[in-house]
Amino acid sequence: MTTKSGSLLAVTSLVTILLAAVPAGAQEAGTGEALKGFWLTTSYPELAIKPGETHTLSLSLRNENLPPQRASIEVAGVPEGWEWALKGGGKEVSAAMVSPDSTERLSLELTPPQDAATSEAYNIEVKARTATDTVILPLTVRLSGSETASSGLSLDPELPGLRGTSRSTFSFKIKVKNEGAEDGLFNLAASVPAGFNTRFKKGYGSEEITGVPIAAGATETVTMEVIPARNAAAGRYDVGLEVSGNGIAESTQVSLEITGEPQLRLVGPQERLSGEAVAGKETSFAFTVVNAGTAPASGIEMAATPPTGWNVEFDPKELGQLAPNSTAEVNVKITPSEKAVAGDYMVSLRAENDTVSESVQFRTTVRTSTMWGAAGLGIIAAAALILGGAVTRYGRR
Amino acid sequence: MPREGSPFKGVGIVALKEAADHMSSARMHLVMLLVLLTAIAAAWGAIDRIRDTTAEDAYLFLKLFTVAREPLPSFAAFLGFLLPLVAISLGFDAVNGEFNRRTMSRLLAQPVYRDAILFGKFLGGLLVIAIALLTLWLLTVGLGILTLGLPPSGADIVRSVFWLIATLFYAGVWLALAISFSTVIRTPATSALAALSVWLILTFFWGMIAPLLASLQPVDPFDPVSIVNQYELQQSIARFSPQTLYSEITGLLLNPSARSVGPLFMHQLQGAVIGAPLPTMESVMIVWPQISCMVAAMLVLFTLAYVVFQRQEVRA
Repeated sequence: MTTKSGSLLAVTSLVTILLAAVPAGAQEAGTGEALKGFWLTTSYPELAIKPGETHTLSLSLRNENLPPQRASIEVAGVPEGWEWALKGGGKEVSAAMVSPDSTERLSLELTPPQDAATSEAYNIEVKARTATDTVILPLTVRLSGSETASSGLSLDPELPGLRGTSRSTFSFKIKVKNEGAEDGLFNLAASVPAGFNTRFKKGYGSEEITGVPIAAGATETVTMEVIPARNAAAGRYDVGLEVSGNGIAESTQVSLEITGEPQLRLVGPQERLSGEAVAGKETSFAFTVVNAGTAPASGIEMAATPPTGWNVEFDPKELGQLAPNSTAEVNVKITPSEKAVAGDYMVSLRAENDTVSESVQFRTTVRTSTMWGAAGLGIIAAAALILGGAVTRYGRR
Repeated sequence: MPREGSPFKGVGIVALKEAADHMSSARMHLVMLLVLLTAIAAAWGAIDRIRDTTAEDAYLFLKLFTVAREPLPSFAAFLGFLLPLVAISLGFDAVNGEFNRRTMSRLLAQPVYRDAILFGKFLGGLLVIAIALLTLWLLTVGLGILTLGLPPSGADIVRSVFWLIATLFYAGVWLALAISFSTVIRTPATSALAALSVWLILTFFWGMIAPLLASLQPVDPFDPVSIVNQYELQQSIARFSPQTLYSEITGLLLNPSARSVGPLFMHQLQGAVIGAPLPTMESVMIVWPQISCMVAAMLVLFTLAYVVFQRQEVRA
């Protein structure tokens, strides 16, 4: 960290020295720290424009620490046949008034004729004449002959191919560059297979968007999230992305590959997940294992987590291979503990292999054994027998 | 010399006459007035309590019988406490009263056997108690529907009817006891006192006697099993009292989420869905030993009275 900041400091000082060494050039520079003066500037003093098209250059008049300055603007050196106009605030102007410490913007519109010679460089001078002196801004304009092939937009997917299961969300990061001359709002549209969902986000943001504003020459990163249909079969799917706006459009193609995965389901007897069992006695429940996924499941093992003292057995214990959309019957034999009191218990049953595991809670209602009922009846019967015996012995007196 | 015909001929007539006598007796009126007032007070208290907690209760209707508001006990506890009194007041002079009024020989002059008289007296008493119980039950249910504005479910009705039948057997035990005393003891006052003292012991003092008797079996403080054993011994001694049996029956039949009358171990509750209601028949099955013990006790006590009565000299 210290070395980094040190080097940064070195760079800064170097820049300062360089700036000090640069001569003032055609325009007056203020002295020392308090910059003072009157300038006429433009961002790109040398540029290439196309013949037959109107090109706009923006000019700035800057007044720093001087009284209000009236500047008459003159444009000299525009070749024969070119059309030009100096505009300020939307009107053609020939002079501008600049208040202290402010900037006036003017634009110079240049339209070279269609048949202008392309190889030459033209020197145009813009002069701003104030009461005290004249500021000159030299411009060099070249004519570029060849039309650029760019449509004005470029799409660059970071990772054009992704892979995942039908439950994954596929995120494509796409860099969209506005190569046109104007800022614009660009609409985003995706074409996906039926049942797939898409949503767009800007960069790493969380808001879902339908369009993205991009400044001229700037690049934005758009995230396209594709959520495949749950039942999408394994395979490769193409997703098209179209960005359009400002009368230009560009599309690109990305692809996602869905790998199949097994998905197990345990279905209870008559699709119920409850049953009755008697304490200490084995009861058999017919379960069905369903592979509802898109790939075969192999080596499925059945397991259970019963309450203490309970015994749960499976027939068969292992299922081997189960193709997608096929079922297998499993007999679950539940033996509640001898000491289980009557009531509802949860028995957790699982079908699992190395990759998937499906568990269900089976609600088992334990009934008490009817043995005690019979014993109670026996006691009552014995008492009734005693009464009957007494009646036969002593009856009818 | 064996006699002809069924020994039970005329039981119905005797039972109905006995019931009619009870119904019109001042003693019965007083006792029933007492029971009615306390039962209505208990039910009213329960309704008041339930109104405060309506939203939390899963088995609202059955709570009518079990919820209590201080200082009154619940409806079920009231019945457990007062029904023995009703039964004893109905039966303490069943046989010796006839001797004292010198009506026994007149009674036996009718064309009925002695069997029929004792059976009729027992069944008549039981009939009166059954009518009183049914009235109380309907009264409470009606009060509940009227004030809570909620009809009982089918399962609630089945549970409370089973509980009503068990209550009748509980009263039957005490009736059989009182009739036995009235056969064995010749003075009605003595037999009434004897029956009342048995009731006092079994109702109030048995709860102290049972732990005392159980503590005779030594407990090793370092052996949890011996503590459990002692508790189970204490519980089985306590079950000699019909009161204990009856409160266990009440607890299970009127609370669908109750699972057991005895101690439960953690391993028995592992995986159990706590609070889930038991099927009605399961609840009945759990207290079936208690119910059958009460029925058997009633039959045995009555048999005792029957044997003693049959062998008595009645021409005195």
